Amino acid sequence: MNVSRVPPDSEGLPSGSAARLGASSGRETDAAHLRELMTLCSRGHEEAFAELYDRTSQRIYGIILRVLRSPDHAAEVMQEVYVEVWRQSARYSQDKGSVIAWMTTMAHRRAVDRVRSVSSEVARDERYAFHGGDREIDQVWDGVEQRLDVERVRRGMASLTPIQREALTLAYFGGYTQSQVAQLLKLPLGTVKTRIRDGLIGLRDALGVEA
Amino acid sequence: MSEIHGAVGSYVVNALDRDEREEFEAHLAVCPTCTREVQEFCETAAELSLLASEAPPPAALRSSILSAISEVRPLPPELLPSEAPAEIAPAEPSPAAAKTAPGERPIDELALRRQQRRTRILSVLVAAVMAAALALGGVVYGLVQARQSQVAQQAAETELLTAPDVKTYTATMKDGGQVSFVVSRSLNRAMFVGKDLPAVGADRAYQLWTLEGKAAIPDNTVPGGGDRKEFFREPLSGVTGLAVSVEAAGGAQQPNPSTIQVITKLAA
Repeated sequence: MNVSRVPPDSEGLPSGSAARLGASSGRETDAAHLRELMTLCSRGHEEAFAELYDRTSQRIYGIILRVLRSPDHAAEVMQEVYVEVWRQSARYSQDKGSVIAWMTTMAHRRAVDRVRSVSSEVARDERYAFHGGDREIDQVWDGVEQRLDVERVRRGMASLTPIQREALTLAYFGGYTQSQVAQLLKLPLGTVKTRIRDGLIGLRDALGVEA
Repeated sequence: MSEIHGAVGSYVVNALDRDEREEFEAHLAVCPTCTREVQEFCETAAELSLLASEAPPPAALRSSILSAISEVRPLPPELLPSEAPAEIAPAEPSPAAAKTAPGERPIDELALRRQQRRTRILSVLVAAVMAAALALGGVVYGLVQARQSQVAQQAAETELLTAPDVKTYTATMKDGGQVSFVVSRSLNRAMFVGKDLPAVGADRAYQLWTLEGKAAIPDNTVPGGGDRKEFFREPLSGVTGLAVSVEAAGGAQQPNPSTIQVITKLAA
């Protein structure tokens, strides 16, 4: 597979969209550009919002769908998140971190809140609790595009201990609470808490993410 | 490292349940170390999200979202706390923030951090109110929303809910009603919030108590039935716990162990 290839725009999205964000060489430039777009959004520029959407939607949709697994729920949460991004655009400030982190945090939080508020999804949690979380982990590792940045994150994840990786994966992609993760991994809650935090520290250091 | 600091990773990946999240956010409002770590971890988690990306969202979603935002007005910028209490006037950029270029250390880092923390408290507050709304079936949320009436009470409640050290203790009474104590040591005040309080008859009432060591001081009374909220009359200094009992409507001077519904020990 050609690692540097941009995925085809089969859905008619403007070229480059999400993939541009990930390119290691242009990360700083991209972050600065997203900040400019946010500023324009705060002044009501809808074209800037459309561009912000095109540059971020694949990534944001990806995490929402991964957590929720239902395209219907994911579409609703996407709509909520982007309307909120537009509404809050003047409230974003660089002090709060990068635009993409701000958006991802909001999207993940809302996806997880949705999982926990929908009763059928709660039932799903319990099913998983008894059948183990391996499938969850496999799904994340399978079929992931081999883009450079993804590769970088994947290597970062691979540098963690298996328990750190599993705890982090179940919590972040599975949308499980730390208590549920503890149950799935048959570990004490305190251990899971520490592993999740250590996992993030390890990943942060491996990725060299600056504060 | 204390127990609560250790939850920072779980907080960022949203692996805390509602109570744990509330507790951590109350801590976050006063802990710069955890705040910095949350911010760093959010960047890391955003990178982690790359592993989830599989397919682009449906094209129809794009047009639906673009048409939705055309009907929504972006909120005005947040005011800095020093500037005004209301959300009316447009904010000027703060001099400190304006001067701080990326990667450059602000001159008065402490002041800036304090300022950032204030701003952050607003978002923490929104999250805390949302969580409380879920927890209490909208009682606390209702407090914030009901602006038209009880303006003075409202201001006091808002002040309490926005206090940087606000803490919520929730407990279930022997009778089954759910009660919360919203407490701020810095404001020296506490509020009782009761959800679905069991009816106790017209001649009896819920009596609030402040506890100082082994001494119990009678406080305000609250009628039974439905959702109720009441400030404690006593200031909090020296108070080590709060309690609720069921007493004759006029209240009692000494609590009776058999009538006590809830005793909550407060953090110092």
